[in-house]
Formats: sequence, structure tokens, C-alpha cells
Amino acid sequence: MADTIVAEKKEASFSFGKKERKLLSDPLNDNNPITVQVLGICSALAVTTLFNKALVMSIAVVFVTMFASFFTSLLRNSIPKQVRMIVQLVIIAFLVTVVELTLKAFAYPMYKDLSVFIGLIITNCIVMGRLEAFAMANTPYKSLLDGIGNGIGYGVILLIVAAIREIFGKGSIGGIKLIGPSNEFLIDTTTSSIFGWYEPNNLMVLFPSAMFVIGALIWAHRAWNKKLVDIS
Amino acid sequence: MHSTNKVLFFVLAMTTIVALVLSSLFYGLQGRVKINEEVYNKKATLSAIQTKLPKSLDEMTNEEILEIFNNQITQIVIDSKGNEMKPAEVEALGYGGDTAEKLDMSKEKKKPLENRAWPFYKYAADDGQNYYILAVRGNGLWDEIWGYLALESDLKTIAGASFDHKGETPGLGAEIKDNKQFQKNFIGTQIMDANGDYAGVLVRKGGAKNKKYEVDGITGATITADGVTDMIADGIKGYAPYLSGLTN
Amino acid sequence: MADLANLFIKSAFIENLALSYFLGMCSFLAVSKSVKTAFGLGLAVIFVLGITMPINWMINTYLLSETGIFGQDFTFLRLILFIAVIASMVQLVEMVVEKFSPSLYNSLGIFLPLITVNCAILGGSLFMVSKEYNFAESVSFGLGGGFGWFVAIVAIAAIREKIKYSHVPPALRGLGMAFMLTGLMGLAFMGLMGIDLGAF
Repeated sequence: MADTIVAEKKEASFSFGKKERKLLSDPLNDNNPITVQVLGICSALAVTTLFNKALVMSIAVVFVTMFASFFTSLLRNSIPKQVRMIVQLVIIAFLVTVVELTLKAFAYPMYKDLSVFIGLIITNCIVMGRLEAFAMANTPYKSLLDGIGNGIGYGVILLIVAAIREIFGKGSIGGIKLIGPSNEFLIDTTTSSIFGWYEPNNLMVLFPSAMFVIGALIWAHRAWNKKLVDIS
Repeated sequence: MHSTNKVLFFVLAMTTIVALVLSSLFYGLQGRVKINEEVYNKKATLSAIQTKLPKSLDEMTNEEILEIFNNQITQIVIDSKGNEMKPAEVEALGYGGDTAEKLDMSKEKKKPLENRAWPFYKYAADDGQNYYILAVRGNGLWDEIWGYLALESDLKTIAGASFDHKGETPGLGAEIKDNKQFQKNFIGTQIMDANGDYAGVLVRKGGAKNKKYEVDGITGATITADGVTDMIADGIKGYAPYLSGLTN
Repeated sequence: MADLANLFIKSAFIENLALSYFLGMCSFLAVSKSVKTAFGLGLAVIFVLGITMPINWMINTYLLSETGIFGQDFTFLRLILFIAVIASMVQLVEMVVEKFSPSLYNSLGIFLPLITVNCAILGGSLFMVSKEYNFAESVSFGLGGGFGWFVAIVAIAAIREKIKYSHVPPALRGLGMAFMLTGLMGLAFMGLMGIDLGAF
């Protein structure tokens, strides 16, 4: 009897069933870090002018949330209560420094572009928030999944915002030129008869536009997923 | 007492592990980072003569960039009086080397104009022509801006320009770097005015009036654009004695 | 001295950490529902920015840089040390305030731990490094940046209190509207860009 329970537990802790899938999928919709939990907005604004920047940032955040959750969960029983916060921060700062050094060595121009915003992943509340809310109370495996889910939920919004801003602001996406006033673009607005009216909207490149785009995303998300509507 | 010991032990163990891993990573990758930095700076210099390079800068590997820099670029350091500085004099400036690329333009900018040292690059292009690259530095709206100007062999026509900045507003001031058309407009302008004096190029708000001496400004970024004008004017002042010496 | 005053005004209004760089947005949006709480958090941010900035400046200059006492490039430890300083300062401030002014503690208390993960604090320190400020400038930048953040959050909270009575589409209510408002305020603050303080 006791043996079967242990066996069940063991299986449960490494299987990938409905519960685990929910850990991954929940942050994408019902519990999205940006549009529902409102965490990690700061870095979402500055790096979304270009798609590529947002992509690198998303990967970095997935990496950091994933391993920060994993390590914290691994240590959760031995972390002394008095220094809990600092220990968590040191784990996060350690991972972020690893990301920074890696970028510096393998993607130097990108490192220059992202500048202080890589460092600001530390204070990206998603990471800290998930450690406090989930990793301190769950097994490493589950925490890892939760970390990945939240990292991706954050990344998806980041990429949507970046895509909108880059297409409307610069007429390109990920550096591939789509529409603009010269023959370097796929659709040349100086010769095209259909898209001749198009002009890149500079507002989209400015910081405040990210607020508008995210605001509109939240609006759309809540209009579609009615249970999230703020009734207060 | 017991719990204090435990906390101390935990913190110490953690700090040691973190510091060890990070420092080994840092020193392990340092070689690559050094090369990256070097290539990044060389690329910035070369971006002014983008059009005269055998192929696009983005497609070049690190090795190719280093090769061009080693074989086709001559580095000279000059002072504001028009003299070439000797390696020992450059070394004495304290930038850890005697080549033009070692100069810290940001520190030089803080000195009075007549005491500054300037980097000067001569590029022997594949088409048999010589091009000259000047480095200029000034202030934008928020922070420093800088750029490279390439001159044709007549030493007064601009063959290319590239700009960069520390913290200009994306979409406005940052366009001096991001807007390639702005940089292209410099090609063909003259740094010498009609009287034959070294003057620089004017970035004019509302559009260039005389494309020989002026380029179009950037909407919404008047201060950054004025910064570019001043930066070029200042730089040309510093280079003028040497340039006129070369022309004669 | 005039330079320092200029830097204060510049970092408070023209380069506002909240409305020009959009730093510290998590707590900015979460706590700006009422003016009273926004006021408390704003004060705490001024306090912590003003203290951590000079400390981090000293750490960066004397411990981490190649010209410091160790003569070694320890910049890879910068992030960890900065965040450790911020976390411990926040805890220290919490303890001191609790001991000497219980009334202030009661009004600030719950916001203090939130500040550790406020990107405006770490962001301020990182900007200070990248802008190469000296000691006095870093103090001025810290206080000015904190003051600017305080003004921004109180202003947004005031607007949010009023907008409760407006007919906002249901799905946009609350959070969505807060984003739009912050964006609009950001645009307004962009109007301050390029003011030449030397001209006064």
C-alpha cells in the first residue's frame, strides 16, 4: 500500500499530464504575466522597438525565470528565512550576469543595443513574483515548468508588441524590410499604386506607444476573455 | 546562535559558489569579449566608408574586418596644430597604446580644442583610391553623440558618414544612427565652404537649401541635429590644419 | 552647485524615470489606484534612491573598477552587489523607520519591501554607471530621479481616482486605462524634452 503511494508520487512528479500542461498554458492566457498579473512591464517597453531585440530579451527572460525557479525550488528547504529575499535576488542576479556575459561574448552588437535593460531583468517582477508565489512551495520540476510557462507568456506579449511597433514604426520586421519609401523595401511606397499612401508612423518608435499598444492588447484580451474584466 | 551560524554558512557558501562560477565564466570569455569590442569599434570606423568596402559590413566576419584594418588602413594620430604625433607622444596620453584607435574621444572632447589629439585613418581602397576617415564627437540632446566622416582623396568631399549616440530618443534623435538615408545624404557634400575655408556640413531644419554644403534635418530632433552640425564643425576645426597641410 | 540643481531638475522632470524611461512600472501601476498609497510609495522611492545611489557609486568606483583599491576589473559582480545593496538598504531603512518613527512606518511599511524589485532603483544605479556621474552628481541624480517618480505616481493616481466616474468600456477599465493614461502622460512629458536649463 505504502509502496504504491510512493510509486504514484514519484510518477506524478515527473510525468507530463494535464496539470503540468496547465502550468505551461495558464500563463499564456488566463494568468498572463503582462496583461493579467501586470508584472515585468518596465523591460517590455524599452526593448520592443525592434523585433529582434524583443526576441533576444524574451529568450533571456525564459532562461532566467526557468533556472531561477528551478534553483530556488531546489534550495527552498535550506534557505534561511531571514535572508530569503537576498538569496533569491542573488540567484536571479547570478543568472542575469551569466546572460550578460554570454551576450557580450557571442552577440556583442545586441549586448550594446540592450544595454542596461539586460541588467533590469533582475527587477523584472515576473521572476521574483514566480519565485515567491510558486517556486518556494513546489517541487523543482514543477517550478521549472512554471518558470518556462511564465517566461513564454511574457515573451509572447513582448513579441506581439514589438511586431506591431516595428511594422508600423519602421515598415520592417526583424530587420526584413516590408514597406517603405525606397527600393530596398519589398513594397516601395514611392512606386506602388496601392500602398502609396503609407508612411511609417514615428509615434510607434517612441516609448509611450508601447503603453498604448499594451493597453490595447489588454483591452482586446479582456473583451475576448470576459472573466478577466475588472469590475471594481 | 545556532541559526545565525547556519545563515552565515549558507550565505558564505552561496557567495563563494556564485563568485567562483561567475569569475571563471568572466575570465574564460574575456578573450572573445576583447575581440568583439575591438571588431565593434573597427566596424564603427569602417561604417563611414561602407560604400567603398568590398562587401557589406554586416556580411563580413570578424577576421575579414581585422584583415582590412591591418592591411588597408593606416592609423595616424594628429594634434590640433596639424602635426602628426610620434608613437611616444601618443603613448604619453595614457590610453594604453600608440595607435589612433586607442584614443578615447570622450576624454579628448573634454580638453580645450587646441590641446586635443585626433585619430586619422587612411584607407587604401580596392579601387586604387585613398580615402580618409575622421572621427568627431559632440553632444546631442541627452548625452554624447559621435560619428565618422570619410573624405574623398580631394580631402574636402564627403564619401560617407556614420553616426552613433549614447542615449538619444528612439524615433527622434536616434534617427541619426537608425536612418540610413540621413547618413547617405552626407555623401557628396563639401566640408569646405565657397571661400575655401574649412566649415563643416550644416544639418538644416526643414530641408537642405544647398545640397553641396547642407543636409536635411530630422523632424522632431532639432537639438540632436544641431548637435551633429556643431560636432562636425568642431571636428573639422581640429582637423583643418592637418588637412590643409596634406592638400598642399 | 548650479550644475547639481540643474541635474536635479533634469532628472526629476525632463528625464523622468517613470514617464520618460518607464521604469518601476510594476509597482507604478499596481499602487496608483489611490493618491494616499501612491504618496507613501513615492516617498519611500525618493528615500531609497537617494541612499542607494551614492552607496552604489562608491562600490562601483572603489571596489569594482580597475582604478579602485583592488586594481582589478570586477564589473561582472556589479549586478549582484547593486541588488544586494538595494535589498539590504531597503531592509535597513525598514528597521530604522520602524524603531524611530512608528507612525511613518505604518504609512510606508507595506511599500518598503516592494521597492527592492522596483526597476527604477536598480535602473537608476545602472544609468548612473553608464552616464559616468561623479559622487555629488549621483546624489543629485538619485534625489531628482526619486522626486520625479514621486510626482509621476501621484499625478497618475489622481487621474485614476477621477476616471473611475467616467464611462470607460468594461474591458478597458482599470489596468487597460492605466496603461493608456501613462502613455498619454509620457507623451506630455516628452514636451519637456530639449529644455535648455543653462538658459535660466
